[in-house]
Amino acid sequence: MAQASETNAPVRFDDETWEALAASTNANLCFQCGTCTAACPLADNTQMRVRRLVREAQFGETDPFVWKCMTCAECNASCPRGVDIVSIVRTLRGRQWRTRDVPKGLPTLLWGMYSDGNTFRLPPKQRASWMQDVKVPGKGSTLLFVGCAASYDPRAQRIARSVATLLNRAGVEYQVLGNDEVCCGEAARSVGHDALFRDLQQRNTDTFHQRGVERVIAISPHSFDALKAGQSANGGPEVVHYTQAIAELLDSGKLGKSSEKGTVTYHDPCYLGRHNGVYEAPRRLLELSGLKVVEMGNTRGQALCCGGGGGRMWMETDPPERTGTRRVKEAAGTGAELLATSCPYCISVFESERGSETIPVTDVAELLVGRAKA
Amino acid sequence: MVATDEGGLWVYAERRNDGSFTPVSLEILGKARELARKLSVELTVVTVGADGHAAAELRKYGPDHVLELVHPLLARHDGKAYATAIAAEVHKAHPSTLLLGATRNGQDLAGRLAVQLRTGLTAHVTSLELEGKDQLVGWVPGFGGGIEAGITCPVKRPQMVTVRPGVFPLPAEGPPVGDVTTVTPHLSEKDVGMHRVSFEPKGSSIDLTRADVIIVGGRGTGGNFGRIEELAHALGGEVGATRVATDAGWVDRDRMIGQTGVITRPKLVLVLGVSGAVQFTVGIEGAGTVVAVNRDPQAPIFDHADLGIVGDLAPVVESLLRALGEA
Amino acid sequence: MRIVVCLKVVPRPEEVKVDLETKMLDRAGARSVINASDLNALETALAYRDAHGGTVTVLSMGPPQFEPYLRVALAVGADDAILLSDRAFGGADTLATSYTLAAGIRKIGHVDLVICGEESSDGGTSQVPPSIAEWLDASQATYVERLVPGTHGTVHATRVLEEGKETVELSVPTVVSVVVGSNEPRFLDYDRWAFAQSAKVLVWNEKELAGDPQYLGLKGSPTAVAGLREVKKAGRRHETLTVTPDEAAARIKAEIDRTRLARS
Repeated sequence: MAQASETNAPVRFDDETWEALAASTNANLCFQCGTCTAACPLADNTQMRVRRLVREAQFGETDPFVWKCMTCAECNASCPRGVDIVSIVRTLRGRQWRTRDVPKGLPTLLWGMYSDGNTFRLPPKQRASWMQDVKVPGKGSTLLFVGCAASYDPRAQRIARSVATLLNRAGVEYQVLGNDEVCCGEAARSVGHDALFRDLQQRNTDTFHQRGVERVIAISPHSFDALKAGQSANGGPEVVHYTQAIAELLDSGKLGKSSEKGTVTYHDPCYLGRHNGVYEAPRRLLELSGLKVVEMGNTRGQALCCGGGGGRMWMETDPPERTGTRRVKEAAGTGAELLATSCPYCISVFESERGSETIPVTDVAELLVGRAKA
Repeated sequence: MVATDEGGLWVYAERRNDGSFTPVSLEILGKARELARKLSVELTVVTVGADGHAAAELRKYGPDHVLELVHPLLARHDGKAYATAIAAEVHKAHPSTLLLGATRNGQDLAGRLAVQLRTGLTAHVTSLELEGKDQLVGWVPGFGGGIEAGITCPVKRPQMVTVRPGVFPLPAEGPPVGDVTTVTPHLSEKDVGMHRVSFEPKGSSIDLTRADVIIVGGRGTGGNFGRIEELAHALGGEVGATRVATDAGWVDRDRMIGQTGVITRPKLVLVLGVSGAVQFTVGIEGAGTVVAVNRDPQAPIFDHADLGIVGDLAPVVESLLRALGEA
Repeated sequence: MRIVVCLKVVPRPEEVKVDLETKMLDRAGARSVINASDLNALETALAYRDAHGGTVTVLSMGPPQFEPYLRVALAVGADDAILLSDRAFGGADTLATSYTLAAGIRKIGHVDLVICGEESSDGGTSQVPPSIAEWLDASQATYVERLVPGTHGTVHATRVLEEGKETVELSVPTVVSVVVGSNEPRFLDYDRWAFAQSAKVLVWNEKELAGDPQYLGLKGSPTAVAGLREVKKAGRRHETLTVTPDEAAARIKAEIDRTRLARS
């Protein structure tokens, strides 16, 4: 293991870590310009220095700050050489599992995903409880992948019901897996446990295959991103986010324009926006709401992360380090009456870390269905 | 051993570090007195230690006999030595029933004693019924508390049962009765299993995971944790908190309950001024009874409560403190 | 140090049903998991082995369906696995179960340390560990949260009791039960799956165990289940009221009394 040294002791390179990085990332392209450090939202309130982290990684050392990363990809987006720094973070975290140098709570999280099939350690047979009185067609080769948050978190269950309602209104034929759905494994991928991620992806691939699924609509951008990566590796179905699926239906005219008046600002979730380039679909849906969209300064590719990504939903973040609080403040600063987004994690974070801001938070689908009915 | 009615009812009275008896020992003694009368058998309370001063206290609870086992090697609880000493007396007297408190040391002892006596042990009962001539049926929770099984020991004697604290009421003291026998068991070093190296009394650290009663304060307390602490004190419980309360600095971070905090399994939790986000509620999923107070009728916490009160927190807390003060 | 971890596979508590008419337990529809505190026991054993050397064997008593779970334990880090399986062992209460496990431990031979979880989520008696200790004539420490070597072939165990924490010295061989949550069980190692799947899990039946038949299975069980009842419906009562503060206090107090927690 390399030693960061304050004496003149020799530095030893950890060849294994470097080899792992060379095999699964393009870390070798980094020429240490430091643009990533400047782009990283954590550089303001913490000692996180992305450039230094990559440099240490090149020597085979893992900066303990690697666990603070939210994988928001502002660094990836700004890197002039196209280094996939998020991959470097995931690979370094993966190495830490070998020596079990991981933050407390993460092994328990993984056991829950492995044994219970969800991130909450809640019973598998409660997974379909989000449905309540919403009817799902239950047939066809399109599948609505609900995900753990929208299945188990009562706040996010409202999103699932709203999305299902919109799909129903548009006459889409689709099925859901109900209690047979298991976690997409994104949390495992985020915290560096690639093996569990692939295991869970394979379980879902097998179920998709059994049910004749050719297209998956994901509710959470995290599921969307994870399923895209995992299913393409397995030769599984095509994956889209619900905002993309519904935007495609707008031309059919089956979804009427709502008559709500007022202003709304839209937060681009990192895993929908920066990671996958989906910026316009949710905005097209917002047009349908009748509300006027007021953009924040940091919009689209510049959106400030809510702080929930990179496994941070399962780790405690000290208040001064929370980007979510800054983001809600920025949203309120636009003067808009409402903050809309399309990710259950972002909503969860904004509602709990809003500080003194009172701007209401809504999911795009909820907004379209009419929040009271969701 | 076959089913006879030879001996009577025996109760093991467990002593604490300071020599006093665990409340559950006295609770069982009270119940045993009633059972002994019903069965027309004699009641013996057995105690173990290194001094011979315990009997006086036990005589106030109406036993027919007090049996004190005294030996220097029995100064501190040791499952092996205690089981050996008690088993020797059981072999002499052939009681039909032996009741013990389901404390940790009680369980530690009972499991060994049951094997020494080759008899049936029913553990952690939450209620005890009598059937037939002398057949006890102990109701035991299982499967995470959703199901109760009624367990009996039809043939072997003594039938052994451990009883949870709080199942029976603490009996009233009366004038001292019962004869006292002091026995020095035959024991040597090899009969002792564990030797105490050190002891750290409770109270030096908070452990919400083992609390039976927790009072949780959230945003709705407005920071007024003084009243929350009073409630905790009145109910013999611990104070818990949500993220909001710890972020605001109202309570220490180690009292935060939830997915990234502590997962608790209390018998009773009062959740006061808490909205009930899932990241919090997973921390109380395993609670026996949940009581929630929140002024918002739509608060998600009510979906996780057995009893929910919609209303302002402060007046409810004041009324509750009054009601408990009068208890 | 030769360490044996006793592992129990239990049905998921929320999936077990009681047929209220026949008063029979229906486990058939329930999926299984490794008992939670047994994972803590396994972690205690592995951490001890990693720090101080030795081997960790997982031992379980049950039907052949338990085998995949023993393989999970191998993937977590155990060195080998043994399943005690025979119809003759069935219907065992804690006396017979502890006897059978103790016989298995004796057959393994030269065992220094037996580590169990404090109790199982189905039976929940916490009797098995001290009973195993008695059958083996070994020392014991229950409700342990920490285990370290002592001097001269002893171990020091810290027990978590109602009054506080007690550290005791035990001579080996000894049987220890650990409290649930005393550590964070390491997640399984997928690089060990190849080993875990191909390893030979020894299965010992009644003949191989050579135990005394009078202590095995149903015959060796002095206790019996006389009846079953469902205690609470799944989920919460959801009784939500809007009442005066005094009425609220009265209702809450009634709830408190109902949970029988009148004293500290």
